[in-house]
Amino acid sequence: MIKLPPIHIGKLSMLLAILVWLALLFVDLVRLFGIINTIDSGIADEFTLILEILFFLSVYSFYNYSINKNSQNEFLNLIWRAASTGILSVGFFLLIRLLYQLLGDSKLGEEPFLLNFFYHAKFAVVSIFLISSSLLWKHLILYQKSKQVVKQWQAYEFAMLVAMFFIFFNKNNLDYSFLFGMVILLGLGLVLSSNLKWIPYLTFKEKWKSLLFLSLIIASCIYLFWQTLEFSNSEIYPVNLTDNLFLISLFGFILIYAIFSFLVTLFNLPTSSVFEQKLTEAISFQRLSQSIQPGENEEQVLDILMDSCMSASYADAAWLEMTTHESRSLLQDRSIDPETRNELTDLIGKQKTALEWAAKTQTEKLSPITLRLSHPKFESVLLVPLIINKSVIGKMVLCKEVRDGFNKEMVNIITTFSRQASIAVENHRLLNQAIQNERYQEELKIAQRVQKALLPTRLDHNAAFDICAYSNAADEVGGDYYDTFKLDEDRFVFIIGDVSGKGTSAAFHMAQMKGIFQSLIQLDLGPAEFMIRANSALGNCLERNHFITASIFIIDTRENSIRHARAGHVPTLMHSFANQKSEYLAVEGLGLGILRNKQYEKHVEEKTFMYQPGNVLVLFTDGIVEAKNEKSLQFGFERIRSLLEISHHLGPHEIQAKIIDSLHNFVGGDGMIDDDYSIMVVKFNEYQKN
Amino acid sequence: MISIETQKENGHDLLILRGEVDASNSVILDEAIQKLINDGSKSILVDGQGLEYISSAGLGVFMSYLEEFQERDIDLKIYSLTPRVYEVFKILGLDQLIPILPDKTAAF
Repeated sequence: MIKLPPIHIGKLSMLLAILVWLALLFVDLVRLFGIINTIDSGIADEFTLILEILFFLSVYSFYNYSINKNSQNEFLNLIWRAASTGILSVGFFLLIRLLYQLLGDSKLGEEPFLLNFFYHAKFAVVSIFLISSSLLWKHLILYQKSKQVVKQWQAYEFAMLVAMFFIFFNKNNLDYSFLFGMVILLGLGLVLSSNLKWIPYLTFKEKWKSLLFLSLIIASCIYLFWQTLEFSNSEIYPVNLTDNLFLISLFGFILIYAIFSFLVTLFNLPTSSVFEQKLTEAISFQRLSQSIQPGENEEQVLDILMDSCMSASYADAAWLEMTTHESRSLLQDRSIDPETRNELTDLIGKQKTALEWAAKTQTEKLSPITLRLSHPKFESVLLVPLIINKSVIGKMVLCKEVRDGFNKEMVNIITTFSRQASIAVENHRLLNQAIQNERYQEELKIAQRVQKALLPTRLDHNAAFDICAYSNAADEVGGDYYDTFKLDEDRFVFIIGDVSGKGTSAAFHMAQMKGIFQSLIQLDLGPAEFMIRANSALGNCLERNHFITASIFIIDTRENSIRHARAGHVPTLMHSFANQKSEYLAVEGLGLGILRNKQYEKHVEEKTFMYQPGNVLVLFTDGIVEAKNEKSLQFGFERIRSLLEISHHLGPHEIQAKIIDSLHNFVGGDGMIDDDYSIMVVKFNEYQKN
Repeated sequence: MISIETQKENGHDLLILRGEVDASNSVILDEAIQKLINDGSKSILVDGQGLEYISSAGLGVFMSYLEEFQERDIDLKIYSLTPRVYEVFKILGLDQLIPILPDKTAAF
């Protein structure tokens, strides 16, 4: 397989153009040789004309490719390209003229072959200038193109193609058909020449440059046209290449568009500052919408706002006040001293319209207002509100030295700026809030972890009983508490507690309770004594309307006894293996923190129970009892009691799982238990005492 | 939801509670009691007939005034509690500190 190199249109068409031109030259020189020596060369004129058309097409193809390749071309570059081609062409013509002047009347000066060679070279140069310029014009015309303009251009190109072949019918006679074709082509050129949308995008300086380039193009165009006309008068060339409808029309088109561009650019010069202003406003707008970066602060947004508004309204001075919590704070000021500012504030405060404006409650309808002032320096001001979430967060005051200095367009653009800035500030605040919330969530997670660590992972026990416990908080953290303590080999303490309320405050009190339990229990106190001491300790730590309920058990596995006291906590359920019955332990007792004096001692009771192997204790908190289903029924004491009665033979984990499963079934799949709940199950075994 | 109505009867201030008292609305109960104290009431009778549920936060309100009532010599009685709500008072032991009576006549 032969691998073909990739076809390079640019190089290929350039090569083709050169070859065609050489062929054209050769053919014409042969014909000239024939004429001079009166020999019929046998070459028809049509052959030359076909070569000419081929040359036009290859030059078109080359420039079409080369201009499209640099599609990032700026307008000024395009015009410069055309101007430079024009200058070079003119330079080439002048150079040849100089050469012939030097040759003078010498024999070489009248040598027809040399003249013909230069004629062909001039023809090529003119064609290149015209075709390349027309393609550059195409780029300018099709800037911000519409479908209609594209169609017009295509029609023009098609008409030009037809014009290339026109020569076969017309033989370059300046007759009516020639004029008719020219009028049509110039008309199309005129229509296309009205597309000058690129001009306003030039800056003031660029406009001056383009005026210079355009005048160069116009000058070279006229010079080249004049030179071309001269050829048609001389008889020495066997086939006239330049008296061609295609080339003449192109001259017209290039010239018309250059003149139009020149004039429009010239007349656009005075208004270019307005257009530049609009562009600056668009950029300001973009900056305002982009300035919501995290890490940036509101002041940067307001800074851009101030600058944008001042430049949009040509204001002489300005300041910005922010309203925060009923107080006003000055954030920024420009070209104004505090004294003048105070004077102006006083003057504004005296205006009735300004007061009415400031008192408006429907902030969505609040728009900037202009005021006349009788101040020696500033005669007009514009008040611009900054509104976030329907509340006014601040006010910008723009001042001008002339009376009635703010027109409707300025007010409109400033309104848009201030709205955009308000959105940016609002977004910024919302983002900060979101970050803050995120941090709180993170803190709560830490609190949750810390609280989990307050509940024991290992529950103290010996072979005489098995124990398990479970706790669940309604929120991230909760107020339920359970703990165990080993007094000695045979004696163990369990406690379960519930802080009133839930959430973070309950969690703090729960931590206090843990501290109190762990310190008091080491004193080896009896259950009632423990409650009395705990009550007195908590009296100093709890808020007045908070209390803690608790149940404490001290188990002696040597004596099979349970000493128990209850401080306002839900009663504990005990299953008696001997009676095959489950019953709540009846012990009176007041919650901790309710009576914060010696009186409490009268309200705590202590009882001792005996247990047998197979007995089960179920300690829990009111979250289980008070859990409601969708019918607002409470889970209640009785359900727990009957559950234990039928499942007492199971191990403690199974009993616990049964109760929790049953609780969830009761509340229902989607139902949430909106309180903290905890459970602890103790099951006594057969135990060989030492 | 809770609704609280106050009435005066034979020199007693009746505080008629209806609905449920929980952490979200216990403040209303607190304000109602505070107002009676400020108005110089000497005997507050709480009608609990329509009270369906009281959470620990609601109990905390009654509890927080116990000392103040004692100091100011204000009588607080609760009557006509439903069995379920009564049980809540009883478990916490508040029945030992606040007289809880079966009906209005017993409270007078």
